[in-house]
Amino acid sequence: MSRRIVAVILLALLGLALFAACSGDGGDGAAQREDTLADIVARDELNCGVKQTQALFGLKVGENDPEGFDIEFCKAIAAAVLGDADKVNYVDVSDGSTRFSLLASKQIDVLIRTTTLTSSRDADLHVDFAQTTFYTGQAFAVQADLPYMSSADMSDNPTICVQSGTTTEQNLSDHFLELGYTFEVLGGTDAETLDAFVSGRCDVWTADQSNLASSISNLPNPQDFRILSQLISKEPLAPGVRDYDTDWKDLVNWVVHGVIAAEEAGVTQGNVAAMAEDPPNAQVARLLGVPFRGGEVADHGFGSESTPIDPQFIQRVIAAVGNYAEIYDRTVGDAVPRACSLNALWSEDKRDCPAGGGGILYALPYR
Amino acid sequence: MAEMPPAPPPPEPAPPAQRKIVLPPHRVRAARPRSQRIRDWAHYNLFHSRGATALTLVGLGLAGLILAGVVWFVFFEADWGVVTANRWLLFAGSFPHEKAWRLWVSLIFTLLLIGSAYGVWASFGRRDLLFIGLAGAFVIFLMAHGGASAESSLWFLIGVICLFAGYLVGQIVPRGNDEQTPIGAMLFRNGFSDPRRVRTLATRSLGAVMALSLPIILIILLAFGGARTRELDGFVLNLLLAPVGIVGGIVLAIPLAVGRASSLRLVSWLCTAFIEMVRGAPLIGWLFVALFILDDVIGGELLLRTMITLAVFTSCYMAEYIRGGLQALPRGQYEAAQAVGLPRWRAMQLIILPQALRISIPPLVGQAIALWKDTALISVILPLRELVGNGRSAIGQVEFIDSRIEAFIFIAVAFWVIAFMMSRISQRVERTLGVGER
Repeated sequence: MSRRIVAVILLALLGLALFAACSGDGGDGAAQREDTLADIVARDELNCGVKQTQALFGLKVGENDPEGFDIEFCKAIAAAVLGDADKVNYVDVSDGSTRFSLLASKQIDVLIRTTTLTSSRDADLHVDFAQTTFYTGQAFAVQADLPYMSSADMSDNPTICVQSGTTTEQNLSDHFLELGYTFEVLGGTDAETLDAFVSGRCDVWTADQSNLASSISNLPNPQDFRILSQLISKEPLAPGVRDYDTDWKDLVNWVVHGVIAAEEAGVTQGNVAAMAEDPPNAQVARLLGVPFRGGEVADHGFGSESTPIDPQFIQRVIAAVGNYAEIYDRTVGDAVPRACSLNALWSEDKRDCPAGGGGILYALPYR
Repeated sequence: MAEMPPAPPPPEPAPPAQRKIVLPPHRVRAARPRSQRIRDWAHYNLFHSRGATALTLVGLGLAGLILAGVVWFVFFEADWGVVTANRWLLFAGSFPHEKAWRLWVSLIFTLLLIGSAYGVWASFGRRDLLFIGLAGAFVIFLMAHGGASAESSLWFLIGVICLFAGYLVGQIVPRGNDEQTPIGAMLFRNGFSDPRRVRTLATRSLGAVMALSLPIILIILLAFGGARTRELDGFVLNLLLAPVGIVGGIVLAIPLAVGRASSLRLVSWLCTAFIEMVRGAPLIGWLFVALFILDDVIGGELLLRTMITLAVFTSCYMAEYIRGGLQALPRGQYEAAQAVGLPRWRAMQLIILPQALRISIPPLVGQAIALWKDTALISVILPLRELVGNGRSAIGQVEFIDSRIEAFIFIAVAFWVIAFMMSRISQRVERTLGVGER
């Protein structure tokens, strides 16, 4: 009997010890300031959480590193911090369910995985988002012979294909509830919905607009389908970092603004060296961290106290990946036209755009 | 197999004057010409009544349709480009091409070990050869389709040659006094050496190499300028994780099983509590533990944490199977060991465990195969990429957007080939050890 009691007590102690070990750094650790920058420099490598299964944004092909729009921003950040766009460890978060936990447990430094910036993620999940890299939204694709121009025309109970169990599905039913229309839903996986739409089993297919565009442009008969310009939800895709790490967040944020600013100022991968040699105006000089007409170099004060980042980091970024237009054209440009989309520059000429169209990319000033 | 046909109408009774040897029925049946035997067999088993005839025809028709469908799909409808274009991605993922020889040397080493183990302890049966032939044809088909480099074909050929070379060398080792392989008999005929000592030496050294094979392979892959651990990827990762889980599982399971069966209450309780705790949660849950909690507690490479988790998870199931084996042993075995004065642990080592492990082989192999398939969970939960994860990347390429079925069928076949190989080897081990006969 006494042996049994001893065993129970020992087990209880073991359990307590385990519990203590697991919860040890939970309580006060969360509010502590972090210094991810110093960690990255010490490691000499950026841990970038990316998707590796989506064409255009992040896809692994062969033995090489993944390729895509998101991947370019990993390279840009690595070039800014470490001076080498290849010093990136691409951590695979193709399955989205663990992405925020991986970020919180410091297994990735930055999450660039077609992640929509939402209020609950920002507030609740302790993620801080940097400047949005890609604006998209939920849109409709229809069979080309149907007369729909927007969802307002869909009053005849259309059959709609939508990926089951996603926010896309939720948005769709909310939208039709608001319109007061009914519809037949045909659910399934991403592939099944595409297949059903292509074979004519549904009239309308709804998903992220960039996803619709890339899928349809790769079909043998893209002329049989139309993508409506109407967006029924906002999906701004942004890089995420941990809360309480302002210096690191600032850097990620200003790398994104930097590639947009470079496009605005006409700095490209090809001419960045020449521009740094002889900046055409003070604005470009400040962006590239070089003196203008014998003046002084403006130090923006990026980086943390232990790990300052030199003012020339945007030069390295542009030399490595180019400006926003170059990144866009190299990765998603063929499948998702940029002109008149949200991802065009705010200063774009909007005369040829449909009403309400036009870009909203607006780089904050470097000075 | 089907029933034997009944004796055909007995031959004409011999004239009484002449004495003739009357053969037993099976000899009479065997003496008939082959065509006659086949016809009788078919009549008796397939067409003996109208209903049976109908059933046979329907069955044959269905089987033919399914076969035709499979052939049509595999050779005409399916577009295997998604597999052939992504051969390296699926097989080794990020493993750098210029270090491919490390993979091939590991493969050859493994095949050499399998061959010599077969040679020493068993022999290739017709079905083994059939399986090797089919699996080899599958790989060759895969490499020829879309044109693999001559280099990798050469490496694969060397691997197959090593499999058979290892087998032949293993066959030289004498089997004991009564059972000699022909080559062994020739070599050891004139008391050249004591065959039993040669055998002991051979089995011990082969066993040692097998026990060290996993570290050796890891050294070949990673050490001296090899790949980085994060470059272990694709099917190679499955092929590494499963053996680590299985071998580590058995090594941990034996003390757990013995501990659970121990008469010391505390030890028994602790082992029971551990086993029940680990078995009480699904593997997915433990993979989350490896990813997040073990990261805080022990840290280190994720790959290593995953290996530990798989081994611990498997060990708890295996411990229960081994405990089953321990309990199946008659008490007399324990008592006899005590009666001859063996200390407890020597009795365990020499009498109890060998028998208990032999009894537990079928469920242990079942668990091993289950773990092999569970390695597909890795890329769902962890940021590691095994075959299924890389398959998802392959079908993410726009040109293969409608080749999902082909990709997943290929992945299923790849898993099946290895699972079937494990099952074949275990059947061979069971037969050699006489499981189910003694």
